[in-house]
Amino acid sequence: MKMVYFDNAATTYPKPPSVVKATAEAPVKYGGNPGRSGHAYSYNSAAMVYDARCTAAGMFKSSPENTVFTGNCTHSLNLAIKGIVRPHDRLVISSMEHNSVARPAYALSKGGVTVDVAVVGKTDEETLKNFHRLITPGVRCVVCTAANNVTGRIMPIREIADMCRCMGVCFIVDGAQACGIIPLSLDDGMNFICTAGHKGLYGVTGTGLLISDGKYVPETIIEGGTGATSAELEQTGFMPERLESGTLNTVGIASLKAGIDYVNSYGMDDIFYHEQSLCEILLDGLKGIDNVTVYRNGNHFVPIVSFNIEGISSSAVSGALSERGFALRGGLHCAPLAHKTLGTLPEGTVRFSPSVFNSETDVKKLLTEVKKISKDGL
Amino acid sequence: MKYTLLAVSSITYAMKAKKLLNGMGIFCEVSKTPKNLASGCGYSVRIRDNPDYVAGILEKNGIAVKDRGTVEM
Repeated sequence: MKMVYFDNAATTYPKPPSVVKATAEAPVKYGGNPGRSGHAYSYNSAAMVYDARCTAAGMFKSSPENTVFTGNCTHSLNLAIKGIVRPHDRLVISSMEHNSVARPAYALSKGGVTVDVAVVGKTDEETLKNFHRLITPGVRCVVCTAANNVTGRIMPIREIADMCRCMGVCFIVDGAQACGIIPLSLDDGMNFICTAGHKGLYGVTGTGLLISDGKYVPETIIEGGTGATSAELEQTGFMPERLESGTLNTVGIASLKAGIDYVNSYGMDDIFYHEQSLCEILLDGLKGIDNVTVYRNGNHFVPIVSFNIEGISSSAVSGALSERGFALRGGLHCAPLAHKTLGTLPEGTVRFSPSVFNSETDVKKLLTEVKKISKDGL
Repeated sequence: MKYTLLAVSSITYAMKAKKLLNGMGIFCEVSKTPKNLASGCGYSVRIRDNPDYVAGILEKNGIAVKDRGTVEM
């Protein structure tokens, strides 16, 4: 059975042909270890990595040396959060965070860090008031998602960035669901953007980015070989090598460069428009089904829709849809804090997240199956 | 032929220097820094002429020159 894939918030699939090609060719073209040796294989790989760094830096208006390759967005967030926050500091996170933020925050709290959660309200104004109340002297760092992974809600990060700048607080943004979809960049005022390479940027899994404005140099949580300052036991002090211990994922980086090139070539506005149009079709269709609840707590969203069918668990609905040829994700989406805010604990929701490769027909077929399940059960 | 090596912090800065200088029409290749020039696994840019001028360009663009040397090739 041919599956229609609507789980692009987890990872995009399929990948663009140019990404598949770059990934397949990379082990042959870039066999040397970049930044480790003085032979042509190593230089050739290093040149590709630098080129990819420049491409990523261009998208996020950073510099290549402040563009760090990581394994995924969680890796980036851990490097940034744990690299900035010290014992006895205060940390503020939003109530719509993924476990990639909530769990590092919880781990830090066990080491003496005070963690405050700014409740995300129905409106941006309410949310900003809650942040404003918590961003007081003594706060070291604020972490907020640019777009939530359950509902797609876009957060008022520019306004939060302004608050942080006024208070001299480091601001880290989780861009996993926003990058490649909306034009997030350091111009928005944050100090760090953490993102996955394998979602809206269309690289392969095992890729991520940590983008910095260079104002803060994080302490390290991983040390090792960087290809620089090797005679010293002290970890390399300068970026990006400071945060890139161990051999880089050259194959993944080649794929990520091809993915970003694809996004730039397609056009982020066009990607957003296409995917948002598909969400609108789904939302219109779901409105006509009596026992379906859609979760939209805000005004602006990236192309994600979460819903439930009354009386049937989200896992059971996503399982039934999978049997009928549609890949959606049910459950908590690794974001129990967000589900608590939405009031969807413990069952979670069914999440629909399209990509540029989905069509209107795909969505209409999905709606037909959702209608059948809501009417006839599993 | 005799070249000047300008040692920089890392491969990233060496690649940045190469892109910058090549973009200005200045010959430049990335090269491993010899042990007698700087400790550790550093990288250099190898240039033909005007090392003071080229080093000045690099410094102006945020690329610190850690050391200098010459090499015959």
